[in-house]
Amino acid sequence: MTIDTDAIRHLSEASVSVELQTEDMTLNIGPQHPSTHGVLRLVARVDGERCFDVKPVIGYMHRGYEKLSEVRSYPQITTIVNRIDWVSGYANEVPFIVAAEKLMQLEVPERAQYIRLILTEMARISSHLVFMASYPLELGAATPLFFALRERERVLDLLESVTGGRFHPNFNRIGGVKPAYGSGSTTRKQPQDLPAGFFAETRDAMDKVKEAVDQLEDLVAGNEIILARTKGVGVLPAEVVVAYGVSGPNLRASGVPFDLRKTQDYLPYDRFDFDVITGANGDCWDRWHVRLLEIRESVKIVQQAVDGIPSGDLQAKVPKVIKVPRGETYVRAENPKGEMGYYLVSDGGGGPYRLKIRSASFSNISILPWILEGILVPDIIAIMGSLDFVLGDVDR
Amino acid sequence: MSSSPSETVVHPLQEFADRVADAVGGSAEIQFDTVKVRISPDQWVAAHVTARDDLDLVFFSWLSAIDWSNEVASGDRLSAEVEERIEVLSALSDVTDGRLVVLSTDLDKEDLRLASLIEIYAGANWHEREAHEMFGIVFEGHPNLIHLYLPDAFVGNPLRKSYPLLSREVKPWPGTVDVEAMPNQDGSDEPTTENPEA
Repeated sequence: MTIDTDAIRHLSEASVSVELQTEDMTLNIGPQHPSTHGVLRLVARVDGERCFDVKPVIGYMHRGYEKLSEVRSYPQITTIVNRIDWVSGYANEVPFIVAAEKLMQLEVPERAQYIRLILTEMARISSHLVFMASYPLELGAATPLFFALRERERVLDLLESVTGGRFHPNFNRIGGVKPAYGSGSTTRKQPQDLPAGFFAETRDAMDKVKEAVDQLEDLVAGNEIILARTKGVGVLPAEVVVAYGVSGPNLRASGVPFDLRKTQDYLPYDRFDFDVITGANGDCWDRWHVRLLEIRESVKIVQQAVDGIPSGDLQAKVPKVIKVPRGETYVRAENPKGEMGYYLVSDGGGGPYRLKIRSASFSNISILPWILEGILVPDIIAIMGSLDFVLGDVDR
Repeated sequence: MSSSPSETVVHPLQEFADRVADAVGGSAEIQFDTVKVRISPDQWVAAHVTARDDLDLVFFSWLSAIDWSNEVASGDRLSAEVEERIEVLSALSDVTDGRLVVLSTDLDKEDLRLASLIEIYAGANWHEREAHEMFGIVFEGHPNLIHLYLPDAFVGNPLRKSYPLLSREVKPWPGTVDVEAMPNQDGSDEPTTENPEA
């Protein structure tokens, strides 16, 4: 029997050129996947290496804070809202407290406002440093984690020295800030202020954070693998981003120079010199880079605030039992993850009639179905990680 | 047009508020630096198109609702009688000056239907799903109006004032039921803690 080698070759080529008919597969990611920053579940239809119809499933961590705050008093609510975005717990308190103060028409002492601002920026630095640690890790680079978390610990130590808590400070009071931890309690009638040496340690820590940011930039920005995995991946056009309500660094990475610190007056940011960082392309790389540069801006703000902090009281005169007059207001703030706001409806009682919590990550990940449409499966992780969300901030 | 109770001077946002109210055909009020424009439910979609296209309010911040109710199952009752209704709010902002407007419309509790905003602001999708499960509002034209946070089989609309806070039903507030009596508060004179250095 003779073998027609030519015929066999023709046949094999023909079978390759026939379009492969593959079945779509449903891929389930999470809810307990490390890249989901908590308990987020994605259901995707996968065709080969591309995924389509991605459906995020959220709510595994829904704690019903909006309902809960209807049966809590105003001072109690700060403990709840601390736990929304737990990577920057301090920053969550500020817009809520400012909203309540607005309805009470309270004048908050300048020193308290400066302390709020310093701690908010520290929360931003620590939140962005977590991103600096986790994002390269998700892309396979473990080293930046150690650099970033080491510096974050410095910042958390400072936060702890003032507030007594690393993650959930619960440091704001209506009318000002709580008498600092370690500086004498109210009952002892001692002057209440920040712990001794706080400013010197802050200056020192900020210098070190700045150095570490340079190191991180050297380490990550020059890495060819990281560049290949992030440049041009997950591009978000500005007009899509705004329609989804994506805010914060994700919005600015798409080239929109919008920062609520520049436009709102919830804290005296207008007295400080800092830049709004924007990206050029809105890809994963820009979202990483914007956050890196924002750490430097936050360091600048903290340094200026420490130098210029006025002396004075930490608390305005407030009644012992807080009752907030009737009214409605919406206060929004530039949190590390984006726009965080509270729509507060008060009926003159000790707690809100309704509190709508607008959290940044919720809107930020609502764009996932749009951005993950038709992308490669390995890019899911690169894109999700670049959005820097926290599930507590999504589910509230 | 009303203004916040304490103010007599023109609010810096008054001109903006009037401009929005004129453009969308509603009435504006400024309360504590928050501009709210009331419109009727049938203007809902048209007002949002105008806000996006003519007023540059391109950023969709949030959408939610308030249950104005005289009867509450948990929390405090309102101090004064109100008209029973569900007020739907959507917050839109520009991305230049940070100006934000809250568009508001009142829905009859017997007829909770409102047109969906998905075609105008894609971000309305999840917010409308949340308002649907929490308040029972039906957003007409929404392609996927299913539960967002709550389990599929969940019955009820938790953020309605008629929905009891179940943990409160189980354990009344303040939660003294699970707290041990403080020292010396149980009537005995015996000290319950001892300080060895005393």
